[in-house]
Parts: sequence; C-alpha cells; structure tokens
Amino acid sequence: MIYVHHICFSDSILTDEVHTVKSRRNQAETVLYTLPCLALVALTIYLPFVLSGYYSLTQWNGIAREPMFIGLGNYAELLRGDGSFMRALVFTGKYTIVSMVALNALALALAVALVKDLKSRNVLRSVFFIPYILSMTIVGFIWQFIFSKGFDEFFKMTGFAFLNLSWLGDVKLVFYSVVFVGVWQAVGFYVVLYIAGLQSIPADIMEAAVMDGAHGLTKFFRITLPMITSSVVTCVLLSMINSLKVFDTILALTKGGPAGSTYSATLEIYREAFQNNNYGLGSAKSLVFFLIVLALTLFVLRAFRNREDAI
Amino acid sequence: MSQVIRRKRLGLIALEAVMIILALVYIYPIFLMFINSLKPFGEVVSNVIALPKNITIQNYVDVVQKMHYFQLFSNNVIITVIGVTGIIALSALAAYILDRRRMRYTKLAYLLIITPMLIPFQTFMITLLKVMTVAHLAGSTWGLGIQYWGFGVPMAVFIYFNFMNTIPREMDESALIDGATTFRTFRSIIFPMLKTITTTIVVLDVMWIWNDFLLPLLMVNGRTETKTLVLSAYTFVGQFNTQWHYAMTAMVLTVLPSIIIFIALQRNIVQGVVAGAIKG
Repeated sequence: MIYVHHICFSDSILTDEVHTVKSRRNQAETVLYTLPCLALVALTIYLPFVLSGYYSLTQWNGIAREPMFIGLGNYAELLRGDGSFMRALVFTGKYTIVSMVALNALALALAVALVKDLKSRNVLRSVFFIPYILSMTIVGFIWQFIFSKGFDEFFKMTGFAFLNLSWLGDVKLVFYSVVFVGVWQAVGFYVVLYIAGLQSIPADIMEAAVMDGAHGLTKFFRITLPMITSSVVTCVLLSMINSLKVFDTILALTKGGPAGSTYSATLEIYREAFQNNNYGLGSAKSLVFFLIVLALTLFVLRAFRNREDAI
Repeated sequence: MSQVIRRKRLGLIALEAVMIILALVYIYPIFLMFINSLKPFGEVVSNVIALPKNITIQNYVDVVQKMHYFQLFSNNVIITVIGVTGIIALSALAAYILDRRRMRYTKLAYLLIITPMLIPFQTFMITLLKVMTVAHLAGSTWGLGIQYWGFGVPMAVFIYFNFMNTIPREMDESALIDGATTFRTFRSIIFPMLKTITTTIVVLDVMWIWNDFLLPLLMVNGRTETKTLVLSAYTFVGQFNTQWHYAMTAMVLTVLPSIIIFIALQRNIVQGVVAGAIKG
C-alpha cells in the first residue's frame, strides 16, 4: 500500500487562528465519520476474537456462569485427546489441496475454451456460473438427492458400475463426492476470473507468438499462463482460503459422516462448541485453525511474490 | 490458406458441440430438482429422472404454506436490505475520509478496519454469539442486519479506499471552498461518482447475505418470525427427507429468487464478482 501524503487544504489565505479552529473541527469530523466502522468491527470481530483467546484457556460449558481457568489445558487436550481435531485438520488439508488443483485446472481449461469465438459462449459462461449463485446448503441437498436417488435410477438404466457405488456411505469414496460437489459449486467463479485475465492479454502478443511458431500447449504454457500470473495468484489464494473454510456443503451433504470421516475443521469447531457444549475447547480449536489459515495465506502470498520478483 | 481456415472453423464447431454437451450435463442437477418439484409424490418415488407425466403445482401450494414462505422471504429481504444499506453508507463515507485526510490516526484506523479480512468467521463465532446476545443483536432480523455491517465493512472499505484515488481531489476541494460541508460534498459529489464500485459491493454483499447460513444459524434459528430462507430450507429438507417432492419444492423456492435475479442482472453480477475478487 502506498501512502501519498497530502495536505487537505491549501490554507495560505487563512489566518493561523481560523486555521486551528478549522483543523480541530476537521479532526473531530475525521473521527466522527470513521468511528462507526471502527466500533462495528471492534464489536463484531475484535472483541469476540480476543474473548475466544481468553475462553480457550478455560473450561466452560456455556451454561455455568463462570468459566474455569485451566491455562493451556485445552491445547494439551488437542494434542493428546481423541484425535478428532487432528482428523478434521487432515481432512481439511486433503480437501483443500485436491479442491485447489481441481478447481484451478478445470476453471482454466473451461476459460480457455470460453474465450474462443463460440456462438453460444455467453450462454455457456452463464450456465457454468449459475451454481455459484446458489446457496451452498441447497447445493449440498441437490447432490445428496442425486447421489442417492438419481444414481440408482441411472444405474437401472445404464448398468454402469460406478453408479451403483455408495458415494456418500463409503468412508473412502465420500471424500471424492464432497470435493466434487464443492468444485461443481464454485468452478464458475474461477472461470469468470480466468476469462477476465485471458481477455486482458494484448492481442498482438498472441499474434506474435503464433508468428514465431508457438502452438497448442507450448503457446499455453510459455505465453498465455505467464501473461495471466495475477489471475492465477488471485484464484489460487481464494480457492485455498475458501476450501479451508468449507462448512455449508458438507453439513448438508453428509453432516460429517459416515463415521465422522468428512468433518472439516470448521464443522469440528462447530460441533465441539454447539453440540458438545465445550466452549473452551472449541475456542482453542478455533484459534489453532486461525493460525493455520493465517500462516498458509502469508506463505502463499510470499511464495508468489518471490516468484514474480524472479520473473 | 483457406484449408487452414476451414480446419480452424471445424475445430471451433467441434469445440462448441463438446462445450454444449458439457454445459447440459453440468446444469442437469438443477434441472432435475425443478422437474421433481413439479411431480406428485408417486411419480418421484417411482422414477426420479423421468419427466413429469402430470405437471402439478400442488407441491408449491403446500410448501409455501408449510414453510411460511412469504414470512421467510420478507425476513431475508429485511436482513439483506438493512445489512447492505449500512455497509455501503458507512464504508463509502469512512473510505472517503480515510483517503482524503492522511494522518497517523487515519492510517491506523484503516489498518484496524481492513485487517479482519484475514480472520475467518469460524474462529470467533463461539464467543460472537455471547457478545451479540449481551448486545441485544441476537434473535432478531434487524439485529442480524446490523451484525452484517461489522462483517461487511472491512472488505467494502478496502475496495472503496483503493478506488477513491481515481476521483480527482479538485472535485471535492472546489466544493469545500464553495462552502459545502464535508458530508454534503460526500453525498452530492463523491458518492454519485462511486457508482460502479458501489454496484460491485452491492452485488457481492447481496449474494453473501442472502445465501449465508452459519451466522443466521447461530443468531436467528429460534423462531419462524426471524428465520431466513436457507435456514428454513435446511430444517425443512431435514424433516421431509423421505418426502422428496416437498424437499425439492422447498429447495427450488429457496434458490428461485437468486436465479431470477441472476438472469435479469447477469452482466452486472459477473462484472461485480470479477471486480470484487481482483480488488479484494
């Protein structure tokens, strides 16, 4: 962020006295007009955030009047407890990696096709975008219906064996179902971002590349991809952050099952706090989760920055 | 040469055909939801993928009544309108002041306002419920609307702030010299010039608040008078999970407003989403 220092008024005409009165009023105004935002952010975000730091050091079921201070007990519990949090973190990590790769690869492929001179391309772009505007909860339900009822019917019709598998009931398969639904819902968003990137490449660069004999994949990896680095950075980062926070779709699709195999970190935090009523332990889990998300975000940002410097 | 062009054109036609098939498969789940909402129960049970033999709107009549659709719809409208209006008004004004008056206070205030973009909501939702209960903002539609101000302001201020330097300072300086107050200048000169970016933020925030699930689940899940559409669909589908004809209808009714608005405002929505993602 670049700050350009700037003096609000050129006040050579004003005498010093008028000036002080005026600048004091300006200062009051500055505070007055920015305070609502500050106060709201403080109330809805900073205060709860700091409080969860405190509650993570206590044992508290939400009903008892006074939380009991137990120091780092909750954090120790995370390490040696029943491993449910670890399992949720591992699931979330796997989910994030697979989703990021699938989302970006698919979105890029679709975007490359949809910037071509197709007659129906505007309609096609809208079609791929539609799931993104739907509530993720409903998306989860739609697919629950298709995996259970729809696949049955298609199996009867076609006899394809994969339709007869238990996509939501099998501990191994369910992972792919959950990733698949997440990708189906969000890919359109990344498609429009990549399209915007592809359209910003100057036409003469592409023409020059073709003149020089660049074709197909060479053209794509040597010319197109480097030209849209900033879109790639945006999409990779957003897909990572959104995948890490996955909640609604999983709740609607599997409720964390079968046998707890699809608990994401956020779902696990929710369960610990609002179903098991362990507010203290839940807060500890949420802070660990926060640190992980923050570290990963900064890591990705830095990795890309170094990369860009190198180019 | 003409052969090259012809081959290229054939390639495009083939690609178009592939893409159309892909798009049809892609959108099929939504289509399936629609057709099943138009079938009587018996037809849903016997074959979910067949087209309806006797189209019926009875499911809609029943579900609208059973889930108190109009009440929920108006709850959603109230929450979204309060939320978005507040976010826009507060953020635009704050970003304007933060951009035009550069001093130590404004730098710090700006950082404090935008930093929460890095804090996932789920990391403080447990204590949030406590704080909001104490602040009397939990359990009501207007309270939830106000809560969205706090959650929406960081990104909105960030986007507005980065856009503000495209508006020449001469614009407001001349108005101020003519004697207009800061607020007046903002309202009649600056805010109208922010129209495109305001559209972007409105699009992003409406989509977010209208479809949000977790915050309403924590804050207004208790009563029909305060519930949101998505929230109610969630319980409804859970309750009627064997009566798929009702479940499908409830789902259609929940997503229908989004789909209609999307079809009407497609271009604005896609542009808004792109601009928001690149700037955010």
